[in-house]
Amino acid sequence: MIKLNELTKHYGSTIAVNKLNLHADAGEIYGFIGPNGAGKTTTIRMMGGILAPTSGNLFIGGMDIAQNPIAVKKMIGFVPDRPFLYEKLTGMEFLRFSADLYEVNPAEFSQKAEQLLRQFALWDWADEIIEAYSHGMKQRLIIASALLHNPKILIIDEPMVGLDPAAVRMVKDIFKELAQKQTTIFISTHTLSIAEDLCHRIGVIHRGTLLAEGSVDELKHIAKLGEARLEEVFLTIIKENAFL
Amino acid sequence: MNTILSLLKPRVFSTINNLRTDNKRNHWMRFFMFGAAGIVFWAGTFIILYRVLFYFQSVQDFGDILAMKLLSMIIMTFFVLLLFSSIINCLSHLYLSQDLQLLHSLPASSKDIFLSRWLVSTFDSSWMVVAFSLPAFLSYGLIYKAGIIFYMIVLVAIIFMCLIASALAAILVLFGATILPAGRIRTILIILGFILVLLFVFVLRLTRPEQLVNPDSFASVVLYLNSMQTPNSPFLPTTWITDAVKAALRGEINSSLFNIALTGSCAFMLIFIGDVIARAVYFMGFSKSQTTPPRLFKPLKYKGLSWESLLNFLPRESKAFAVKEIRIFFRDSTQWPQLFLMAALIAIYLYNFSVLPLDKSPIKTIYLQNLFSFLNMGLSAFVLSALAARFVFPAVSMEGSAFWIVQAAPVSIKRFLWIKFFLYYVPLLIIAEILIIVSNLLLQVSLFMMILSAVTMFFLVPAIVALAVGLGAVYPDFKSENPAQVVTSFGGLMLMILCFFLIALVITLEAGPVYYAIMADIHGKQFSLLQITWLIVSFGLAIFLCFLSVFYPMRLGEKNLRIR
Repeated sequence: MIKLNELTKHYGSTIAVNKLNLHADAGEIYGFIGPNGAGKTTTIRMMGGILAPTSGNLFIGGMDIAQNPIAVKKMIGFVPDRPFLYEKLTGMEFLRFSADLYEVNPAEFSQKAEQLLRQFALWDWADEIIEAYSHGMKQRLIIASALLHNPKILIIDEPMVGLDPAAVRMVKDIFKELAQKQTTIFISTHTLSIAEDLCHRIGVIHRGTLLAEGSVDELKHIAKLGEARLEEVFLTIIKENAFL
Repeated sequence: MNTILSLLKPRVFSTINNLRTDNKRNHWMRFFMFGAAGIVFWAGTFIILYRVLFYFQSVQDFGDILAMKLLSMIIMTFFVLLLFSSIINCLSHLYLSQDLQLLHSLPASSKDIFLSRWLVSTFDSSWMVVAFSLPAFLSYGLIYKAGIIFYMIVLVAIIFMCLIASALAAILVLFGATILPAGRIRTILIILGFILVLLFVFVLRLTRPEQLVNPDSFASVVLYLNSMQTPNSPFLPTTWITDAVKAALRGEINSSLFNIALTGSCAFMLIFIGDVIARAVYFMGFSKSQTTPPRLFKPLKYKGLSWESLLNFLPRESKAFAVKEIRIFFRDSTQWPQLFLMAALIAIYLYNFSVLPLDKSPIKTIYLQNLFSFLNMGLSAFVLSALAARFVFPAVSMEGSAFWIVQAAPVSIKRFLWIKFFLYYVPLLIIAEILIIVSNLLLQVSLFMMILSAVTMFFLVPAIVALAVGLGAVYPDFKSENPAQVVTSFGGLMLMILCFFLIALVITLEAGPVYYAIMADIHGKQFSLLQITWLIVSFGLAIFLCFLSVFYPMRLGEKNLRIR
């Protein structure tokens, strides 16, 4: 469902992402981990159609995002790392705005919006203006709006930032349920325990290059670390800097 | 003191970094454009005032009284402007800036934070008023042949005036913020400020200054001049400043220094009082400002009546953007005063036409009516450009940090920009046509001019709106704390210049053939083949220019947003 082919992004003379190749299949939860400034957010923003790559191709659902940006975006649910929203709209109005853009069936909208707002504990706040929401509430609203059009692919940058433990548990359960229904989920995160709990496969990126890729067990094998936690595996891979 | 200097450093370094050429596109171009605009305005103020004062000097007895009255009015106006600008700046710098949370988390006392922010606020609210007050004082100095001491006293007086206004503003804001959240105070103040300005403009306009040219009303002018000699209140700082400047002009140094000393002591006393109050209440007010105030007006709900149902005829994506735009516009309280101002601008514009004494003019009325109708086209288009600069140009920047939603949405940037275009095109076209038709009716122009004006506006409006949307996308500012202010940026200036050239070109292209058409009509002559060709080429070029102004800026804007 997701295929990155020699994906590269330059910011002036800085190479943020360097010839990145990876893929994620239907129903797979792919974790993207790496230190600060590794190129995770740049990759995610290119996948969300927010940033144009300098070179390389990005295929989502078999389509090149550069050739069919609109059709690709309709398949995606995108959640950025920082929850910037239209602060003067209410939560419900924002969901309706998203529904109109993503062409959610109007007959199903009210029911679906209520279900999501209740699921994300925002129903009581549905008619309040977003500027009164807390950081965590805004993050929950963005995730709810990303799920509104039943996307085939979810692309999420730091999904758990600002969420309380109960919300983290709830979001994890939702992601697992979606993956079972063949939704592809691409998550970038710093929280290694989340990657360890949730992801079928993990890619480790550093200085724009993919250093290692595989399941947690495969990564332990790559790093030659036996029964170690993902944190130690991650630090070893970053330190050694050459595994792929 | 060291802490205050440290707290000022981010601002100083940011300003220096902003000046670095590698940080900005078209750096020299911007510098040149703003510099040129500033110099033109500065020189214009100086020349006008110099000529006015020169004329006053030639009027026996009354000339000096008028010049001094004008001086006190100038100082009073500057002081009111400074006070209002200081209040708005103090609110922003002391309570609403995004970096305040960081500052208050630092090991710095709230007194130091207050003083550092107050200094920045004083600078921000004063520099422009100071810069544009200098030509006024320079013209007085030259006319009255004042010595160097006059300029030194003026400089000190201006600095004290800024300090007094800023300290007074800080005291008012400190008290206000303990009662209401700072965001709410700003809303109320901006609305009150605009209402006051509107009242002032209306009162000024309704006094019909054009009657001053009527000899019958001269008796009242003599009475007016008598009233000018009444002194101002001796307890007002503006009186001391005016007296200090007047005395310096006349070479009475002792009296001037006495008044400067009064002003200075008042300024320092107010700063001291402000500091004492800040120690007691600043943090309390800041803490209050961190809460989101409830909505000022709750939405009115009627059965099934909403923006969605009203705009149901639009395609779905367009409706989504339209509804979002309308809701955000009406919920953003800083936009409301702009609406009042727009209404006032149009009302005053039309009122001016209704009181034009056309029948008293020695020039033939039919000729004058058509001439005015022609000028009216240009003026209406300029009014429209001002509206477009204020409301349409910031439309892309208004997306702010939420612009990612548009980028990630399954809507192309091209479509997004065209939705913005049509959202503003329709209301502005209605306003423009009302403006031109009503003003032409008041001028009682011929049917030909009425149709020509309406058609010209019909083609100019989309060009102006597209220029505003397109340039707004070429020069967006998604990081501004107040996107409405992007109109004062380089892009806003470019928009006004381009609109000016477009309107001037279109009007010029139409003027020649129209003049001959009117003349031929008056004298009952037929058009020659050359005149018909000229008419067709001129009007064809005008229409082509309008089309070019619609599509080219939109394409530029789209290209710029796509490569971000």
